[in-house]
Amino acid sequence: MAIEFRNVSKDFGGTRVVDDLSLEIDDGEFVVLLGPSGCGKTTTLRMLAGLETVSSGDILIGGERVNDVPTQHRDLAMVFQSYALYPHMTIAENIGYPLRVRKLDKAERIVRVNRVAAMLEIESLLDRKPRQLSGGERQRVALARAIVREPRAYLMDEPLSNLDARLRMQMRGELKRLQHQLGTTTIYVTHDQAEAMTLASRVAVMKKGRLQQFDTPMNIYNQPANRFVAEFVGSPSMNFIEESHVTIGIRPEHIHVLTEPQDGAIPATVYVTELMGNETFVFLSVGEDRLIARAPADFRAEVESRVWITMDRDKLHFFNADDADEIRI
Amino acid sequence: MSHKKAQKLLRYLLLIPPLLFALAPVYWMLTISLKSEVDQFATPPPWFGFTPTLNHFYDAFVTRSFGDYLLNSAIVAVASTACALVIGTLAAYALARFQLPWRLNRHLSLWILSTRMFPAIVTVVPLFLMMRDLRLLNTRASLIIVYTAFNLPFVVWMMRGFFVELPRDLEEAALVDGDSRLGALFRVVLPLVAPGLAATAVFCLIVSWNEFLFALVLTQTDAAMTLPVGIAGRVTQFEIKWGVMSAAATVAIVPILVFALALQKYLVRGLSMGAVKG
Repeated sequence: MAIEFRNVSKDFGGTRVVDDLSLEIDDGEFVVLLGPSGCGKTTTLRMLAGLETVSSGDILIGGERVNDVPTQHRDLAMVFQSYALYPHMTIAENIGYPLRVRKLDKAERIVRVNRVAAMLEIESLLDRKPRQLSGGERQRVALARAIVREPRAYLMDEPLSNLDARLRMQMRGELKRLQHQLGTTTIYVTHDQAEAMTLASRVAVMKKGRLQQFDTPMNIYNQPANRFVAEFVGSPSMNFIEESHVTIGIRPEHIHVLTEPQDGAIPATVYVTELMGNETFVFLSVGEDRLIARAPADFRAEVESRVWITMDRDKLHFFNADDADEIRI
Repeated sequence: MSHKKAQKLLRYLLLIPPLLFALAPVYWMLTISLKSEVDQFATPPPWFGFTPTLNHFYDAFVTRSFGDYLLNSAIVAVASTACALVIGTLAAYALARFQLPWRLNRHLSLWILSTRMFPAIVTVVPLFLMMRDLRLLNTRASLIIVYTAFNLPFVVWMMRGFFVELPRDLEEAALVDGDSRLGALFRVVLPLVAPGLAATAVFCLIVSWNEFLFALVLTQTDAAMTLPVGIAGRVTQFEIKWGVMSAAATVAIVPILVFALALQKYLVRGLSMGAVKG
């Protein structure tokens, strides 16, 4: 179902946590709200779920204004960061809960619980209680509870942040497949730019309650709207060189490190190198500036040794020093 | 003797004085209820070696109306506890979860608590007059109403604490899953605070069961008289029926004891709920 935020704002006490947010999310899209903590992304999600009231503006689900529709009638499913599994119920009861409150008969409930349990490979856990499960298993149960019915949209609030790195990567892939399979509109909140880039069909980058950019991951990466987006997306982060009225940005992969001087190359000093296995991060000092460059895995240079760098000139970004917006050339 | 054994022995030795202190009156009551009048007043008292008799029990519950008092006590205690739990739990939930305007959450909570701060005797006369005008004197209903009011602040404060401790996520998940507020309360929240609810119930029951002052003022006939008043009434101008009083008191202890033992598991968990994050 298509979802729209129209000039939505939210005030807590005197603080504006979401400021004039407008977003149009198409049916079946996987949209990630990305930003540092306190940027208003979770509040945005909670307003959509009806767990927070809207201070001004409208939220529409499938064209219908839902500002005054209570949570339980919005027909959404949500995965919480804490998973929020009901501790006193078995896994089967947890997954079946949305069906139970909708008064589905027991036989139908069992069939559907078993079907999603099979889909997420948690059939063997159905009789257990949440406290007997590992973090990854709980995560799956929370997902199962969300997809056991066909809601108008899935809302996910940092669902992977409590998992260890390996499991997080695995679940990321599974989530993407699952959403592809189900084709249901999904809104996903995270502060992890890698999650946003890999999962989203479009990413909404937020900062201090304001939408910075809403675009495909590729465009967010290649044409960041402003310095904040450029810096927040990509790892290692984009390099910035301050000039008088303009900030120049360049991503680490667009700086090439040479061990021999070459025409047009700029001399630099190696601060330190970090071998990542498949590549090497080279931290450089160029005059006052510090830069990071990506080099091949076999690149070797001593600390404090002299090197030369070239930059892909067509990959430079220019940001206005006053408002940090990108200057398109 | 090993170090561990010595430690254990010391632990038990330390437990003896408080136990003696707490149980001595109970022992005295129990033995007097079983002693004939002659043994009751013997000096030195026969600690264990006396011929037990059930005459006082027969006297209290068959000849006199202590059976009725027991029933009155039970009805009043259970009904007032039930009322206080239902009303108080809902109020506590509202105070814990809903953001009321003008900082009413805080003001209402303190106001509710403040009703417990003045001595009970202050309200006895107005309550007597009110009950008289409502024609509720000498009825169980009067005691049920008064005890409910008396227990409410306690229930509200206990339950509010348990609700506040409970993560909001769980109720929010229930709401998103399509449940109503009340449905979430009954299906998710209450089962999770059940130990706290049980502990609160035990306290309410004990308070109502033992209450003396209001029962004395509001009930004068057998129709609504509760055990504590009935027992005290055996202290008369002419004699004190020690045996009957002790027999009735012994019986009065039993229901509370059984109830507390049955809920012991919940009681400990309920009282320590929120103390340790688990």
